[in-house]
Amino acid sequence: MIYAVSHITKVSYDANVRLARFNLRLKPAHWHTQKLIEYNLEVSPPADEIRESVGPYVVNVARIAINNPLKELVVKSTFKVEIFPRISDVALSKSPDVQSLRNQVLASGDLFKLTPASYVFPSDLAPLNCEIMEWARPMIEQSHNIADAAMRVTQAIFKEFKYDSKATSIDTTAYSAFKGRHGVCQDFAHIMIIALRGNGIPAAYVSGYLRTLPPPGKPKLVGADATHAWVNVWCGNDLGWVGFDPTNNCLAGTDHIFTAMGRDYTDVAPVDGVFFGYSRQTMKVSVDVNELNPEPVA
Amino acid sequence: MTSQNDAELMTNNRSFNDKDEVGASCFADLDAYNSAIAANGINSDLYAGAAPKAQEKWQVIANGLDAQCDGDFNKLHEQMARQIGELGMAFRTIGDEDERPWPLNPMPLVIGTNEWEVVSQGLMQRAELLDKVIGDIYGEQNLVKDGHLPAVAVTGSKHFARKMLGIKPRKGHYLHTYAVDLARGPNGEWRVLSDRVRLATGIGYALENRIALSRSTGPLLYNVNSRRLAGFFGNLRDGIAADCVRNNPRIALLTPGRFNQSYPEQAHLARYLGFPLVEGRDLIVSKGRLYVRTIAGLKRIDALWRWINTKHLDPLAFDASSQIGVPDLFEAWSNDDLVVANWPGAGVVESKAFSAFLPRLCNVILGQGLILPNVATWWCGQETERNYVINNFDDLIISSAFKENVEGLDHARSRAGNSFTKEEKAAIIEAMTRRPMDYTGQEVVKLSTTPSLTDKGFIPRFFTMRAFVARGEDGNWNVMPGGFARISDEGVLRTSLIGRDDVSADVCIVDEVPVAQESWLNSGKPPIIRRSDGILPSQAADNLFWFSRYCERAEMTARVIRTMLGSPIEADGGGGALSAPAIEKMIGLLKSWGAVSRTESITDIPTICAAALSDKKNLGSLASLVNNCREIGRRLRDRLASDFWQLANYKMPNISRHNIEGMAETCNILLQKYAALSGLAHENMSRLGGWRFLDMGRRVERGINICRIARNFAFKGAGHDEMGVMLDLFDSQITYRSRYISGLHLEPILDLILLDGHNPRGLAFQINEIEKHIENLPSLDDHGLPEEPLRKAKSLAARFVSLEAEDINIEVLSDLEGKLLDLSDAVSQRYFLQFEKEDKPAIDRLFE
Repeated sequence: MIYAVSHITKVSYDANVRLARFNLRLKPAHWHTQKLIEYNLEVSPPADEIRESVGPYVVNVARIAINNPLKELVVKSTFKVEIFPRISDVALSKSPDVQSLRNQVLASGDLFKLTPASYVFPSDLAPLNCEIMEWARPMIEQSHNIADAAMRVTQAIFKEFKYDSKATSIDTTAYSAFKGRHGVCQDFAHIMIIALRGNGIPAAYVSGYLRTLPPPGKPKLVGADATHAWVNVWCGNDLGWVGFDPTNNCLAGTDHIFTAMGRDYTDVAPVDGVFFGYSRQTMKVSVDVNELNPEPVA
Repeated sequence: MTSQNDAELMTNNRSFNDKDEVGASCFADLDAYNSAIAANGINSDLYAGAAPKAQEKWQVIANGLDAQCDGDFNKLHEQMARQIGELGMAFRTIGDEDERPWPLNPMPLVIGTNEWEVVSQGLMQRAELLDKVIGDIYGEQNLVKDGHLPAVAVTGSKHFARKMLGIKPRKGHYLHTYAVDLARGPNGEWRVLSDRVRLATGIGYALENRIALSRSTGPLLYNVNSRRLAGFFGNLRDGIAADCVRNNPRIALLTPGRFNQSYPEQAHLARYLGFPLVEGRDLIVSKGRLYVRTIAGLKRIDALWRWINTKHLDPLAFDASSQIGVPDLFEAWSNDDLVVANWPGAGVVESKAFSAFLPRLCNVILGQGLILPNVATWWCGQETERNYVINNFDDLIISSAFKENVEGLDHARSRAGNSFTKEEKAAIIEAMTRRPMDYTGQEVVKLSTTPSLTDKGFIPRFFTMRAFVARGEDGNWNVMPGGFARISDEGVLRTSLIGRDDVSADVCIVDEVPVAQESWLNSGKPPIIRRSDGILPSQAADNLFWFSRYCERAEMTARVIRTMLGSPIEADGGGGALSAPAIEKMIGLLKSWGAVSRTESITDIPTICAAALSDKKNLGSLASLVNNCREIGRRLRDRLASDFWQLANYKMPNISRHNIEGMAETCNILLQKYAALSGLAHENMSRLGGWRFLDMGRRVERGINICRIARNFAFKGAGHDEMGVMLDLFDSQITYRSRYISGLHLEPILDLILLDGHNPRGLAFQINEIEKHIENLPSLDDHGLPEEPLRKAKSLAARFVSLEAEDINIEVLSDLEGKLLDLSDAVSQRYFLQFEKEDKPAIDRLFE
C-alpha cells in the first residue's frame, strides 16, 4: 500500500518572538514495516539553519533556527511511503510467554536503539502507577503468550474507555484519563504503556498517521485526517517490536504509517522548541493521508 | 526545580539500641570518654580506635577548645555560631522557605595520615574506575556486550542519557569531581555508602566548615598539623583548565538558581575559585560556541562546572520544559569546544544497582580488587542475587534500585527487611517476579561513633562522612585532605548531606610532621596580573542596579515615616505638629509608592506608619522593600563581600502601631544600615563595572524620588512645613541653615535640592554621577559613537547647565522625571537581559 501524506503545522504567536529554535520530528524514521519513498520539508519563513539528525530513540529530528522576529511559522511535511503487510497471526501465536519474555529483557545485552531495556522503565509521561498495573495484571497473567497479553490489554482499553477528544488535553496525565475512562489515542497509548511496563513488559510510544475512510458515499475532506499514536510492544528476541493500536482495537497494519518511536510522547513530539519573548502560542495542524494508485480494476 | 533529595539508608535498629547506652552520658574530657568506650571495643569509636599519635592530636584539640572557653562549652558554641553568621553560611532542606543557619560542631573528626592513606587510595581507585565505566557505557559499550554489565542496569537509571552515546569529552575525562559517602564500621573498617558524580554537594560546605572552625579556634588546627584544603581546590581548578581549548580559560559555575538547596554553597565556591556564577539565562550558544552575556557583550566560556542535572542542561536536547538550561548547550560540548564537569550523563553510575557490579567491574577494568569495599549489594535483576535477597530478606535493607518509585517502597524509601509485615513482605516479593530489576538488597551498615561536643562535654555520636576527589592538572586524582562529617543521634542513617536535626563537623587529616604552608592562591606558577574582577554578567549588573534601587527606595520610605512620626530637627511637639496639608501630602506619597494601600481611608499617623513599615501586603512597604533587597542580595552572594551581605541580610522586626518609639527606632536602624551599606560600597568596592551599576541604581532611584517629592511638596501653596519636610527628606537641613539665615524660602530650597551640583542629595549631583558611570562603561562596538544611554545621560545633564530655580515648575519636574525613567530603560535595554526578564514587582509602575 502506498500513501501520500501531507502534514501542515501552523504556529502563531501573539507578539514577535526572537531567536526561535525548533525540533521537528516529522520525517518518518527507518522502520521495518514500511519504506519511505520521498520526503520534503518546507518551512516558512525560511529557516536560517536546518540541521537533520537521527535522534536518541527511533526518531528523525530536524533542528531549525529562525533568527528574525517571528509571528507565524508554517511547517509543511510531505512524503510518500509504502506500507508492508503486517506480521502474521501464526507468527504472533509463537511469541514467548510473559515470564520468558521478562527473562529475555533482563538478559538483554545491548544498548542500541531497539533494545527492550530502554523501554521497560517508567518515563516522564508514563510513570509507574500501581492502579493501572493492577488493572492489567489479570489480563497478562491469563495470557498464553506476549502477543496475546498485549492484545488483551488493547481490547480492554478499546472496550472500557470512551474516545472523547474533549475530555482530555495535551496536559492531561495518563492516570487522570484512566480514572475518567476516556481520552484520545495519546492517552490510550500512555495508559497501555504504563500497564505493560508495570508488569515488566517493554512498551514504546509510536507516533504516526492513520488512513481514514470517508463515510460511505461522501467525498474525503481535506485536512480531515490526524496524527495518530499507538503502542509498540516488544515480543521477544525473535519477533522484536509489534504495533498494537488500543484506539482501534487492532494490530498496527497497512492503515498505520509510522513516524517515530520513543519512551513516551515527549521523545517523539512533532514540534517543540524555545524562543525569547513573552508570547502565547497557538498551533493548528492539518493532515491528509491519501492512498496512491488504488489497485486498477483488472 | 531540580530535586536533589536523596534516598536514605537505614541501619539496623538493634545495633543502635546497644549504642544508645553508651551515648546516654556526657564526658568532661576525652580520657573519661575513652574508658567508657573501651567497654564496647575501642574500634567502635574514631577517637578510641585511633593510633596513639593521632590520639595525641585529638587531645590537643580537646584541650585547646576547653582552654578557649574556660570549660564553658556553651560559649564555644556561641563563638562558632557567630563565625557561621559572619560567613553567611546557610542551607535549605526540601520544603524550607527560608534558609537555615548552619549547624557546626566545634569538635572536628581527626584522622591520622596512616588511616587516611588507605581511604585515599581507595577513593582514587574508585574515581578512576567510575570514569572508565562511564566512558565505556557512552563509548565502546564493551562491558554490556561482554556480559559484565546487564543493559537493564544501565537503562534503569534516569540519569542515563541516550543522546550522549558516542560523544566524548575533549581529553577523555568524564569526571572531574567526585563525592562519596563513607561509613566507618564498628571494627574500624571504612566502606562506601554511595557515589555522587552528578553534583559534588557538600564540597563547598566542607570548605566553609574549615574556614569557620579555623577562624574560631585560632592556631589550634595549625598546631596539630592539620592538612590544608587550599591545594585541593587549586588542583580542581587547574584540572578543569587543563582540558580547555584556550590557555587562559574562562570557567563558569552553572547554578540552577537561588532557590536551589545548595545555592549558598555554589555562590561561595564560585567566589573562592574565581569562577563567574552563572544561570542558564546568562548564557547563549552561538555557532556551536558558548558565551556569557556581559555588559561588554558576549564573552566566551571554555568550561562549565555544572550544578544542574543533565536532563535540564539543554531544553532542545533533553527536557523541553527545562527553564534553567541553555538552548543548544549540547552543540557546544559535542563540538569539542566546551569542557563540562562532570560530563553529561555521568550520573548513570550512581544507582544502587550499580554498586552490585563495581567489585566485578574493578577486576575487569583495572585488573585489581576494590581497595575500599562498598556496601554489599545484591541486585534483584539477576536470579541468584534475587533468591539471596528473598532468602535473607529480614537481614537486609531493601531499596529501590534506581531511586524511582516502586511497588512496596513508598517514595522510593529504603526499608529494613525486618520492618516489613508479613503481608508487605509477601507483596514486595511478588512484585519482584514482575519487575525484579527495580530492587536491591544491601547489608545492614553499622557505624562507629566520634566524640561530639555538647554544652556539657563529649558524647559519642554516630557519623558518616562525605569525601571529595578531584582531577588535577596532570589528569591524576587528588583527594581532599578532609571532608564533611554528618553527625546524628538518630538510629537512622541517611546519605543526604544534612537533615533538619543533624550537626556537621569538620574532618581534619593530621600529619605527624608540620605541614607546609600552602594556599592555592599563591602556589605554583605566578598568575597574570589583573586589575579587574573578570567579567560582569548582564544579569549580575541588573541585580546590582536593582539592589541599590530597592535600598534607596527603602531608605526614602524610612525617611518619610520617620518624618511623619516626628521630625528630628523641628521636634517641637511630635508628628502631630506638622500641618494637616503636609501630613496629607506625605500620606499621598506613601500611597503612590505602594507603601500603604491606595484605598486606605484612615489618616491616623501611627496606623499609616505601621502599615508602611511592616505590612507585607503592600509591595512598597518597608518590610517588602527590605525583603526585596535581601532576595536580590542573595543572587549577588558571589559578588558581595560577607560584611556587605550581612548588612543586606537584615530582617525587619514586627512592630505594633502602638509602639511609636519602636517604629521611629526601626527607621533609624534601617537608615543606619543603609548608610553603612553605601559606606561599604564607597570605601571597599573597586571602581569597576559592578560598583558602577550599584551606584547608578541608587542615583537613578534618588533622582526620581527628588522629582516626585519636589513635585508634590513645592507647589500648590507650599507652606513652611512642606519646605521643612523637603529639607528633611533630602537630609539638607544643615546645609540650608548654614547658607541661609532668613528662614525657609522656596527658591533657595529648590536650588539646593535640584540644581546645586555640589549637594550629594540633590538632583543635579545624581545626574552628573549617572553620566560619569555610563561614560566609563564598556561600549559594544568600536566606531566611536556614544551609545544610547550615554546620549540620553548627556542630554539630561546638559539641561542643568542653564536651569535656574525660578524656571522650576511641576511640568519641568515631570519632564525631568520622565527623562530619568527613560534613561533607566535605555540602561536596561543596553546592559541587561531584555527578552526574558523574570517578573519582578515593577517599581516604576508603583508610582502611577
